[in-house]
Amino acid sequence: MPGPRADAVEHALVALLGPARVSVRAADLATYARDMWPRALLAAVDGGPPAHPPDVVVWPETTDEVVQIVRLARRLGAPVVPYGAGSGVCGGAVPLHGGITIDLKRMDRVLSIDRDALVCEAEAGINGEHLERELARKGLTLGHFPSSIYCSTLGGWLATRSGGQMSTRYGKIEDVTLGLTCVTGAGDLLETGRHGRAAAGPDFTQLLLGSEGTLGVITRARLRVRPAPEVRHLRGFVVDDLTAGTEAIRRVLQRGLQPAVVRLYDALDSLMALRHARKDASDGGGDGGGDGGGTPAPRRAARRPGPAKDLVSSLLARLGLASGGGLTRELVEAALSRPRLVNLLADRAAGLAGRGCLMIIGVEGSRARADVEAELVFAELTRAGARDLGPGPGERWFARRYAVSYEMPRIFTAGAFVDTMEVASTWERLPDLFDSVRRAISRHAFVMAHFSHAYVDGCSIYFSFAASAPNREAAERRYDALWHDALTAATRAGGTISHHHGVGLLKADFMADEHRESMAVFHALKASLDPDGIMNPGKMGLPLPEAAPWSR
Amino acid sequence: MVALVDDLDDMLAAAVGAAHARRQTPTAAGFAHERGHPATWVVRPGAPAEVAEVIRAAARAGAAVVPLGTGSRRRTAPLPVGRPRVLLELGRLAHVAHLDETSLLVHAQAGLTGIALENLLVPRGLTLGDFPPAALRSSLGGLLAVRTPGKSSPRHGSLEDAVLGLSAVLADGRTIHTRVAPRRATGPDLARAFLGTEGTLGVITQVVLRLRRRPEARLFDAHRFASVDHAVVALAAAFHKEARPAAARVYDADETRAHFGDGLAHADCALLVVATAGPRELAALDRTLIADAARAAGADPLGAAPAELWWRRRSGHALHDAPPVQPALVLFAPWARLGAVHRAARSAARAAGRTARAHLSRFDDEGACVFITLLDGERADPAGPARAAVLASTRAAGGLPPGEREPALAPALAALKRALDPDDLLNPGVLP
Ligand SMILES: Cc1cc2nc3c(=O)[nH]c(=O)nc-3n(C[C@H](O)[C@H](O)[C@H](O)COP(=O)(O)OP(=O)(O)OC[C@H]3O[C@@H](n4cnc5c(N)ncnc54)[C@H](O)[C@@H]3O)c2cc1C
Repeated sequence: MPGPRADAVEHALVALLGPARVSVRAADLATYARDMWPRALLAAVDGGPPAHPPDVVVWPETTDEVVQIVRLARRLGAPVVPYGAGSGVCGGAVPLHGGITIDLKRMDRVLSIDRDALVCEAEAGINGEHLERELARKGLTLGHFPSSIYCSTLGGWLATRSGGQMSTRYGKIEDVTLGLTCVTGAGDLLETGRHGRAAAGPDFTQLLLGSEGTLGVITRARLRVRPAPEVRHLRGFVVDDLTAGTEAIRRVLQRGLQPAVVRLYDALDSLMALRHARKDASDGGGDGGGDGGGTPAPRRAARRPGPAKDLVSSLLARLGLASGGGLTRELVEAALSRPRLVNLLADRAAGLAGRGCLMIIGVEGSRARADVEAELVFAELTRAGARDLGPGPGERWFARRYAVSYEMPRIFTAGAFVDTMEVASTWERLPDLFDSVRRAISRHAFVMAHFSHAYVDGCSIYFSFAASAPNREAAERRYDALWHDALTAATRAGGTISHHHGVGLLKADFMADEHRESMAVFHALKASLDPDGIMNPGKMGLPLPEAAPWSR
Repeated sequence: MVALVDDLDDMLAAAVGAAHARRQTPTAAGFAHERGHPATWVVRPGAPAEVAEVIRAAARAGAAVVPLGTGSRRRTAPLPVGRPRVLLELGRLAHVAHLDETSLLVHAQAGLTGIALENLLVPRGLTLGDFPPAALRSSLGGLLAVRTPGKSSPRHGSLEDAVLGLSAVLADGRTIHTRVAPRRATGPDLARAFLGTEGTLGVITQVVLRLRRRPEARLFDAHRFASVDHAVVALAAAFHKEARPAAARVYDADETRAHFGDGLAHADCALLVVATAGPRELAALDRTLIADAARAAGADPLGAAPAELWWRRRSGHALHDAPPVQPALVLFAPWARLGAVHRAARSAARAAGRTARAHLSRFDDEGACVFITLLDGERADPAGPARAAVLASTRAAGGLPPGEREPALAPALAALKRALDPDDLLNPGVLP
């Protein structure tokens, strides 16, 4: 925004909130200029001023203050970007056109917990782990466990349709949301879902979930909670290949059985996981990792490796593996410069090893139910040809499921990057989706994959990849080409371009292919809830308002 | 306008074939009572593309388009007056476009009835879910465009939740197909704009629905409680222990007598019947969880027989028994309010000189529906003076009549309507 207008906005905000909850300090503006989008990290590590800082950051404490802020923004023609914890990996919280960034973290109260109705109401800015801890105190759980649970907010989850590790039992966040309080871009208050399933449609809750701040600011949510599990049964299995593995999972789900978590690693991923499982078994260490998770930072920080090794260990961490093994490290280091060749070699190595693919499966819940269901699930897998490895691999995965890499920025040196891509499709299209996307990524980067988040009707695939280039510009080119090819491949194969990370800036240009004509409905939602187009402009493939001064 | 109206005759015939576009005489269409009865057509498109043609033609002539489901008599609002109107009858769109037995999905046209679809699925060992057949009588389009109380079950949620995607024609004649994936994080669930909006935002032409395998085992059980409250408390306790029956129903004492004769009922008792389903071990577990909760609440076990009779009726196989009368009122209530809603119905009816008897059904995580029958002596009296009193007092007790719009959301819905259908072409007058 031009200086004088930014000043006017700042003054109006100070008048509204007082000086302590409004900031134009350079450090704040730089902090809120990005999230955990790897492409933005490439630039951040390279130094220089952030490309897209906000003009002002505010910290409201009530829904009413949010209403006032949005109305003020509308009156003064300033863009508004809601900000949770900035753990998004698609650039969703980047204030592309400046304006007001609303940090919701001061709205962090649990408002009510009804143990009989199993409903909890909380403010959107609450940290995910805090919310879960409050519920645990009452013997309840939301069942939502993204690897980023320590560094993300409820509002961010709702805005991106986030998915947790136990989603097969508890559902994604959209499956447990009963109602929202949202301040629309028009400055109106919308309270959805008050009448539950008695109400006529449309279901505005489902029309707001996943809107990534482009329709309004979510300030509260009512959520379905469940009694905390009494028991948890974790197992490892090994299957001959991915086809056998996905088929076994499909059989379990379609029999009406409901494990909490199912993860199936591709051959290379499994090869390394099994090596480490053995290694850990002999030296008593743990193994495994979450969705994009892995070795906890403290273990690695002990002996600080150089940039290349750092990248390797971070990649391994992102892939859910411990750092270590000679073969593994060499593979990954080489992969940084020659992805095609190394992907090929890796395939061979995994194939020759012939150890098959690792599957982690967990069943939890009330003792009565989980005991019976676990037996049925494990028996069904065995019938489908999977070989039981006992509880070890599952328990090691569980112990490390949040051990995500919080040091990621360090590895984005000298044009190297790691990233992840999560796609999904119906079972019918899944093999094609896997092959096409894997092929597309492997032209540009070293790639591994696992299947997680299984449903009766389909499954998601989580690709992790790493690549390097001589300098930042080359790395950005490679990064963009990779995503272009991979997202195009996903759409062509009939899959969705995102299962739980969202769209943000990264996938904005691909929304037209993702939704085709039905984008008209999203446009209509945008026009009706955010008539001036001030909410998180430039995201999700929505058009910019022509009249706004900042959109030119 | 007159010229346009005559043009519309030709345009509609061109769109769907002359045999399927009929201008209605007022009496035939059953709206002779309307003043001025504007020109009205009933058109029966045979393909989704023809629906789009019809909508474009109607738009050109300034006519309203009113989608009609098949099978359901219910029309939620009076037909629009003051402009020509085209009633869209989708009964010919009754094909299954794709049955994906790998992913357990069906792509079915909107004119197909739920029952017809279920009949296609059963021989393949598939089903739409634990929904009662009576709730599936309407066309899929009608079932999904209008919220009715019957389409929810403990294991499978509501029918809306089974919708993975859909095709719809918008007011501007564009056809959209929302994309199909088990879950996605690419913006709002756009299909939801068309569910429960009665064709006001678009006409649903095809839906993609999740299917289930037919259960391997089905088990039955029944328990008699001291009161409706006791039964509800026991069932809630079982749900908290993760019991997930295929269906459950609680009858109050009068309803028990009406449905099962005098043998089962005690003075103020309540009867709980349950069906559990799934792999045999899980069906047995669900039955045990409910039986344990019932015993803890002091219930008498009655064995499977009453529940088997209920199930045969529910499946439409025991119609030689006296068919239970249609309830006068249905209210949804959260678990904590079910007992209060039931009591409110009884006492309000009594105060109005009538009797109310009721059963509770369609239980899920949120609550259940209370089906209330009003009687004047032995005779059903659904529309009598007690009705308004019972409705008012059950609402006050926390009951919600299904299918109402939440007033707080009306402005947002009106804005969405303006954005998608600025000329108010589709089912005008239905939205507040
Ligand atoms: C190491 C790591 C592991 C991860 N693992 C997972 C995982 O397992 N599962 C998963 O789903 N994701 C995962 N993520 C991604 C990320 O954590 C999620 O997208 C999360 O939901 C973002 O929450 P946040 O509070 O940080 O939101 P932000 O990053 O601050 O914002 C995300 C988007 O939501 C909008 N937004 C935020 N709050 C609101 C609000 N109150 N109202 C309206 N819009 C709002 C923002 O404008 C932005 O567009 C991971 C990320 C990292 C870095």
